[in-house]
Amino acid sequence: MRATCWMGRNTVEVEEVPDPKILNDRDAIVRITSTAICGSDLHLVDGYVPTMKRGDVLGHEFMGEVVELGNGVDNLSVGDRVVVPFPIACGACNACQAELYSLCENSNPNSRLAEKMFGHPTAGIFGYSHLTGGFAGGQSEYVRVPFADVGPIKIENGIPDESVLFLSDIFPTGYMGAEMCDIGGGEVIAIWGAGPVGQFAAASAKLLGAERVILIDRFDYRLRIARENTGVETLNYEEIDSVPEALKELTGGRGPDACIDAVGMEAHFHGPLYAYDRVKQATRMETERPYALREAIMSCRNGGIVSVVGVYGGFVDKFPMGAVMNRALTIRSGQCHVQRYMRPLLERIQEGDIDPSFIITHRLPLDEAPHGYDVFKNKEDECLKVVLKP
Amino acid sequence: MGTVSIRRRDKDSLAQFLGWFSLGLGSAQLVAPRLMCRLVGASGEGFSRTLMRAMGVRELTQGVGILTRPRPTAWLWSRVAGDGLDLSLLALTALKTQHRGRAAFGIANVVAVTVPDVFESLHLSRKQGEPQPGMRIRKAVTIRRSREDVERAWAGASDLREKVLEAGAEVSFTDAPGERGIELAVEFLHDPPAGDLGAAVQKLTRNDLATELADDLRRFKQIVETGEIVRSDSTPQGHLLANHIKQRPAQPLKEAIR
Repeated sequence: MRATCWMGRNTVEVEEVPDPKILNDRDAIVRITSTAICGSDLHLVDGYVPTMKRGDVLGHEFMGEVVELGNGVDNLSVGDRVVVPFPIACGACNACQAELYSLCENSNPNSRLAEKMFGHPTAGIFGYSHLTGGFAGGQSEYVRVPFADVGPIKIENGIPDESVLFLSDIFPTGYMGAEMCDIGGGEVIAIWGAGPVGQFAAASAKLLGAERVILIDRFDYRLRIARENTGVETLNYEEIDSVPEALKELTGGRGPDACIDAVGMEAHFHGPLYAYDRVKQATRMETERPYALREAIMSCRNGGIVSVVGVYGGFVDKFPMGAVMNRALTIRSGQCHVQRYMRPLLERIQEGDIDPSFIITHRLPLDEAPHGYDVFKNKEDECLKVVLKP
Repeated sequence: MGTVSIRRRDKDSLAQFLGWFSLGLGSAQLVAPRLMCRLVGASGEGFSRTLMRAMGVRELTQGVGILTRPRPTAWLWSRVAGDGLDLSLLALTALKTQHRGRAAFGIANVVAVTVPDVFESLHLSRKQGEPQPGMRIRKAVTIRRSREDVERAWAGASDLREKVLEAGAEVSFTDAPGERGIELAVEFLHDPPAGDLGAAVQKLTRNDLATELADDLRRFKQIVETGEIVRSDSTPQGHLLANHIKQRPAQPLKEAIR
């Protein structure tokens, strides 16, 4: 089959690889009908996530049709249309039973590596380095889905792929980012990053009842898409003097009630601190450029919540712990527990509360995946989300 | 329960570091005495070279002593004495050499390591009672199943039980607090021949019982909780430390292995 492979730093190629086979009784083989390039794939391609190997099949946002099932899967049938969540979860361990699916204790066969890196292991993830299990990803024609009786959600009526594909990752990820803000009505939420996750965090904050949502980015076209589709306020940080000051001035001096970091480890910023982080990251003395996170913490109101759904991989410098402690901030975070959100969010889509396809700007055949990575990474051609069709 | 008996040992990471430091420095002095002499301003010919080699042998002996003993107090003090000797020799060198700067660099380095040497020697000297050989290690997993299920599965895992028996390890099944299943623990005395040196060799040759048992327990938990050993494209055999270093890419296998 054809599959999008990581061939080294900044090199993605579509290669011919063997077809996947059932390895465990609870596996399914899915023929991919739609798959997307995620912002976190860019961290892999940029070489900031360790334990990638030449030839790794990429992709953790995908959906398709079940073509083969192991003996242990009795809730799916061949021919079912399914969306597959990106974390692989067994459903039986303490983490899964607590609905912390991205922390499944059994699904990562390289858990020892993850344990060394993070202190405790995390779940397996499709196409996302060997640290998360070394599972082949879904930017391909077919994919093997372990624990297929737990993760995949059946799509039973004729909703188009593009409306449900993002249930696999970014819609639930953005939603969890907003949910962690404890929105009860009347809040002001600020969100760093108007990429796909930031867009869905903004839309979700609105769905959950936030009074005002302020989205921060440097690309006008991304901010425009958010204003047009979600009705949020936007700030272009390159055009203003200081984001924390602007947020204070926009919120009666209080600061936002909660701040969502939907940027992660490769933040951009203009200033001397950016040069400092850039140099430390390039020389591997620091693994992240946590500018958005620092700013989110400094901006948040006293006693507020900082919700982190942007991806981090290692260690950050100049982390304003004094602000967190003295101003009684709460930090919440996590790789999304997608399985927890798929069904309620599918209902939201079916009820017409939201159509997640509004973020798609590029539709390409699978063979053009390398071009898709390029335009997405370089924000060419007003790119916000690339969907690949095998 | 009360006082924790696992992971207890006299030798802390500073003592270990100083042991490995001795081995490293000693090897350099023995193998490249001329270079080491020149670094500190000595000529590197004749007597100074022989002396550098002799000091290398001293460092190696001290390193081995520190790494192989459970409480190497005397060996640590011998490092302090060695620092004194090194400082005297460097002072003599400084008087004779044209490269005073290099001799000063050498003295600065010895002073920098004398501080932790004295600190750790005093720390170990304060320890009372008989030194404990080795360290008790307890590898454990929490399995979300009833006690009966876990014990039945354990009875069926004959290879693992045999390994545990051979290692003289104790097995315990404890109710996890908050109704989270059973804590399965395997506890044993980790006392490899030649102390930390032996432990390092075991790790390098992937012969380390603690790691092996941790792997085995993970796999056992997977079978009890999910009914299978979880396998990915890069780890078709499932979780095995031996496979962590050299993995195949995350790409489907040519042949199905079941």
